[in-house]
Amino acid sequence: MSNISKDDVKNIAKLSRLKLSDEEVTKYQAELEAILHYVEKLQSADTSGLEPTYQVTGLVNVLRADEEIDYGTSKKELLKNAPSQENGHFKVKRMVG
Amino acid sequence: MKYKATIGIECHVQLSTKTKLFAGVDNDAREAEANTLISPLCVGLPGTLPVLNEKALELAIRAGIALNAKIAEYSKFDRKHYFYPDLPLGYQITQYDEPTILSGVVEAPLPSGGSVKVRVHHAHLEADAGKSTHPVGKNYSLVDLNRAGTPLIEIVSEPDMHTAEEAKAYARELYLLMKYAGVSDVNLFYGNMRFDVNVSVSATDELGTRTETKNINSFRAVEKVVEYEIARQIKELEAGNNIDQETRGWDDNAQKTFPQRSKENAHDYRYFPDPDLPPVVISSEVVEKERALMPTMPALLRTKFSELSIDSAKVEALLEEPTIAHELENIIDAHDINTAKMIANWYSGEIARLVGEEEITWDQVIGASARLIDLVAMIDGGLLSTTAAKDILKDLISSEKSAKEIAEEKDLMQVSDSGELEMIIMQVISENQKAANDIKAGEMKAIGFLVGQVMKASGGKANPGVVQDLLRQSLGL
Repeated sequence: MSNISKDDVKNIAKLSRLKLSDEEVTKYQAELEAILHYVEKLQSADTSGLEPTYQVTGLVNVLRADEEIDYGTSKKELLKNAPSQENGHFKVKRMVG
Repeated sequence: MKYKATIGIECHVQLSTKTKLFAGVDNDAREAEANTLISPLCVGLPGTLPVLNEKALELAIRAGIALNAKIAEYSKFDRKHYFYPDLPLGYQITQYDEPTILSGVVEAPLPSGGSVKVRVHHAHLEADAGKSTHPVGKNYSLVDLNRAGTPLIEIVSEPDMHTAEEAKAYARELYLLMKYAGVSDVNLFYGNMRFDVNVSVSATDELGTRTETKNINSFRAVEKVVEYEIARQIKELEAGNNIDQETRGWDDNAQKTFPQRSKENAHDYRYFPDPDLPPVVISSEVVEKERALMPTMPALLRTKFSELSIDSAKVEALLEEPTIAHELENIIDAHDINTAKMIANWYSGEIARLVGEEEITWDQVIGASARLIDLVAMIDGGLLSTTAAKDILKDLISSEKSAKEIAEEKDLMQVSDSGELEMIIMQVISENQKAANDIKAGEMKAIGFLVGQVMKASGGKANPGVVQDLLRQSLGL
């Protein structure tokens, strides 16, 4: 179960939009395997009869009214950290051909 | 070989809330300047927390009721991961395995007769992504996050449709249901409803490989996509080729589907429950309270309107205007069937034409209901011909005047007074001796001609029934 192939690493990298060198693929292959080995240990715990825990706060129905909130941030501030912008848009690498 | 097509539809409906699904930011991105309707949450800054909009939840419950669906007592939100520039969080907040709206069913009438029953697998709440544009001739794209976080419900049908007509009818029925439930502005031009259409064909009982054509925004295009995909897939299979399971787009100019590069490898979305959002618990009391607030829905209106024996195309046209359909329902409930029938015919005929030409508005039509009912009573009482009534509809609806006032002003009140009519009849007979003699000789066909002449001489105001009777008397029949 915990055997990760080089192709698995490459696929995960692709899904995460990361470009990995061959050395990095080898490196992450080992690291991801180590992580999965650890998870295997967790999986050996007996959880029969237990409901999965998604939340620990015990809260339900945390709702807000359908009204505008002043977050105190301007368009300029929110765009400030974008590496590139044009005409008030975030400018990114072309997505389509 | 004989092929059977199988069709399933996923429909995204934009909910008509004031603010986004998880952020208190104006939701109306239609005309807004790019990136003016954004908050730290909308751009995915660290340290922000989503909080569910209670109105969006209320509208989802109403949508579920409209879909004849069960509302989940317990539902939750999940993260669907993919990396794309219009998705700043790196995941979409959606509902994966415990959605708010459970299985339902939609029955849509078919123009060719009968109906199609489509089961709804479930419908889930989710946040929309941002909008990207791709300037021509440039090596970059531009992202506007105004739309990021807009509340949607995605309605997922079972593959219960088999023809293009059924697919179109189902899409239109969803539109009517969402409109009547008041959950969406259902403006197709602004993409308030978008359809993803799954089509496969097979010559056996086993389902064929399907394609998914995404982001269709008209019923007509839904129909065209299905027609095109069925024909294309059969042609491929006949040529001995396989169908690729793929995402396709629709080119409305070329009227063709085309393969699209897919965003992600098949279903590798790494869903998990969103730890930032506590689950939603909805009691049956809340659902019943909402159910009690629902208006009469299209299915029941169709049953009520069927008593009026007006043709189904007219009924469907009336249903496009919920306020008018509900007004007609009130008239049916409060008045006799002939009154309702006359008004239904005006609504779908002359009045629809006047509204289409912007001479009057539907609101004015609703406001004129009492006067329209008086107008029908005048026809029934022989005071006005149906033609004259039609002629005064515009003035009646756009002014505050009564039907009688307008008819008198326009000198359209029908003459049933025998003294006045007899004078005209004597004159018409003397001017048409041949016809009169023919009638006396037993050529009854000519009586219609004489009635017509009397009507003409009276300027259309004579009551044709009375004229007919008086003519017969005068000719000694």
